[in-house]
Amino acid sequence: MGMGKASEWLQGLKEFWGEYRRYKSGIMGLVLLILLAGMALGAPLIAPKETYENWYNPAYWTDYPQEVPPVWVSYLSGVKKAPHVVMEKGPGDATVLPSAGNTTYVVEFTYSFRYDEPPNDILLRVMGRASEEEKAYVSIKVRRPDGQEIVLLPGYETAFPEIYKGMSSKHFKVGKRSDIGTRIVKWAEKFDTPENVVTASIRPPLGGWVIRILFSKAEEGILVGDAELLKGDYVFTITVVVPKGGELWGTMMIFYGTAYGLLGTDSYGRDLLAGIVWGARLALLIGIMTSLISTIVGVLYGVVSAYLGGLVDEGMMRIYEIVSSIPLLPVLLILSWQFGVTIWNLAFIMALFWWTGPVRTVRSMALQIKEETYVEAARAIGVGTRRMIMKYIANQILPYAFAIMALGVPGAILTEAGVSFLLGGRGVREPTWGKILHDAHKAAATMKGLWWWVLAPGLMICITGLTFVLIGNALDRILNPMLRR
Amino acid sequence: MGYGTYIGFRLVNFAVILVIITLTTCAIFDTAMTRILKAQIAEQVQQDVMNWVKYQQQHGRMPTQEEINAYREDRLKIYYRRYGLDKPAWMRVFYRTWDVLRFKFGKSVSGLITYRGSRDVATIIFGYLPNTIILFTTGAIITMVIGIFLGLQMAKRAGGKLDRAITTFAMVSYSLPMWWTGMLFIFAFSFGLKVFPAGGMHTLPPPEDPILYWLDFLWHLALPLITLVFVSFGGWAYTTRSLVLGTLQQDFVMAARAKGMPERKVLYGHVLRAVSPSLATMCILSVVNSMWGAMISEAVFNWPGMGRLYWIAIEANDLAIVIGLTYVSTFIWLMALIIIDLIYGLLDPRIRVGIKVTR
Repeated sequence: MGMGKASEWLQGLKEFWGEYRRYKSGIMGLVLLILLAGMALGAPLIAPKETYENWYNPAYWTDYPQEVPPVWVSYLSGVKKAPHVVMEKGPGDATVLPSAGNTTYVVEFTYSFRYDEPPNDILLRVMGRASEEEKAYVSIKVRRPDGQEIVLLPGYETAFPEIYKGMSSKHFKVGKRSDIGTRIVKWAEKFDTPENVVTASIRPPLGGWVIRILFSKAEEGILVGDAELLKGDYVFTITVVVPKGGELWGTMMIFYGTAYGLLGTDSYGRDLLAGIVWGARLALLIGIMTSLISTIVGVLYGVVSAYLGGLVDEGMMRIYEIVSSIPLLPVLLILSWQFGVTIWNLAFIMALFWWTGPVRTVRSMALQIKEETYVEAARAIGVGTRRMIMKYIANQILPYAFAIMALGVPGAILTEAGVSFLLGGRGVREPTWGKILHDAHKAAATMKGLWWWVLAPGLMICITGLTFVLIGNALDRILNPMLRR
Repeated sequence: MGYGTYIGFRLVNFAVILVIITLTTCAIFDTAMTRILKAQIAEQVQQDVMNWVKYQQQHGRMPTQEEINAYREDRLKIYYRRYGLDKPAWMRVFYRTWDVLRFKFGKSVSGLITYRGSRDVATIIFGYLPNTIILFTTGAIITMVIGIFLGLQMAKRAGGKLDRAITTFAMVSYSLPMWWTGMLFIFAFSFGLKVFPAGGMHTLPPPEDPILYWLDFLWHLALPLITLVFVSFGGWAYTTRSLVLGTLQQDFVMAARAKGMPERKVLYGHVLRAVSPSLATMCILSVVNSMWGAMISEAVFNWPGMGRLYWIAIEANDLAIVIGLTYVSTFIWLMALIIIDLIYGLLDPRIRVGIKVTR
């Protein structure tokens, strides 16, 4: 008997598929759903889990460039943007110079610069341990393709006082250190006109314009950004003097790109691709959870109300009317403000108000089914109320419930996004797409023209919603008995 | 159920929901609100004590420290009694609910004030409210006109190019967050094409000439309005189309056509009249639903309405304003639902004569 039922079920599924595939939009929705599910499930492969866990930890994102567009922008604009380059070298890559007592390590990094924009900034990180009595010292110089040498740090800077990922380390950001900036400007002064020297002396030696000098041809205008960029290999020589008893664990250089990844970064340097793929999980979770719970509750409520009828029906409909006119958004704002919800809580709270959606339709369907002869027959042979509701009526409406469920998903996702957009840090804890957009609006992304920060999350909300609208509409046409001719 | 009973039911419903929501909100925030109130009272008492001491000095008396402390205690007790802080928690919640129901929200917690310097939450909210109403009603009316017109055109040539295009567009706009669309429009029209301002309601300083002042206002209104209409008209058109298509197959339409009535008259006179009750409910409901989207969009456009105030209050951690806004927006929402019912009742003669219909 079990076999027969299974094959019957399979037959039904086959028939359904035969009908479903006739709807082009339904197929499109299905394809989109598979892509989204792939994105949600494959999130750890695209962006490591720690990017998601550290989304609100700014220290984690220091090695990423801030507010830069996606790399493919280069192909659209024709301007070759500098990619993000991270180079790491262990102590084995260093040349060890013999000296009395101390150990001197010399490490060379070669950055081949062939782009239309200089990198945003340069970072050097040395990791290791000094001895208890004596400090370690680090010095940096760079040799440009034209043979010029600039000393960025003379040898009296101490190394390793801070902790980086559990190791003792120190980093230097060229664009953030005015002493390094001053050395670069001083070096460039001999190539430029006296007027430009004066102009440059007024500006604080920090940020992008100093980096640009480093990567410009040694000619007139180098101080004011008029000189052409000098392409070729830049060799950075790092010398670390470690006292006896100390150790050098490694060195690292980062040339911050003017573009990053597939989707760019925000003003904390967060990789938006990570936010998007992990956000897909959250969005699908909240959409499907909310819709699933509220559809089950709503369908049962409608069926029970219709089947029991009379005063019970009247009372249930009054309760339905009250719940359905409670405004969801302010209530959600208040609740998540006070309790700082997770998306699981939020999905549950939304379902608490959302079940009213299908009640009316389901109730009128159930009223019709109630009058069918087979229900009457079942009642005549003494089928119990619960069995009647579940097996004889709700069962009939079940296929249509799938359509209701699919159509309920976009609303849940949109509501979550709206609440998260308004509440930001006070809303759900997880970095959903709505929260990314909140951060974008708070950082005035629209005013700064950071379109990549706004475009991707919103587009994903829209696509996810559309996916379920397409599927839901197709299901509705096939399964809604009222639309059947 | 007659029209009167029907409206009566809705009004009772309205009151019940309002009380439930206010009571729940006040209960949830009791601890936080009590803390805020106590801080505000302490501030007020400090002020009172200073005034009292000054008054005493002016009359040649120098109160001792004990006298000052006694006066402070006295004032505190008076205020605690006035705000019900000496009562148990459940009574306090009821007191506060009763206050909120009468639009008494207290003072703002953060430094937020009106331009006249008032810290009263109700005054602040009612300063922002008209701007929301202006934006929202204008948007709703434009959406309605465009939506119904397009819907009729779609129904006339169902399956045609226009029909298919708008149906697709309606599907897309169903899952389009209005506020995000607003952000995109700011990119496109304010920064790309530079035709509309990026936000606000007036240029600063606003032009003095009254005509220019209004033009400046309309210029600022344009982009939020375009966003609102853009996101909602598709749904309207699609709903109208479906309803009209259903009615077109009815006998009375066939009869009207058979007697040689011009198609335009059939469409606007007969069909539109017949579908108007359902159209009114379905569409107005969708517009009222889009109220929340419009409010969030205000935050994007810096449009000084309630949504913008929500954003400001949340950023400033101002609980009093958030509670006030929750109450006022719930109130408006329920009012809108009542108005829908009134319109529905007026349009549908079956309700007026008392035949039971389910909405």
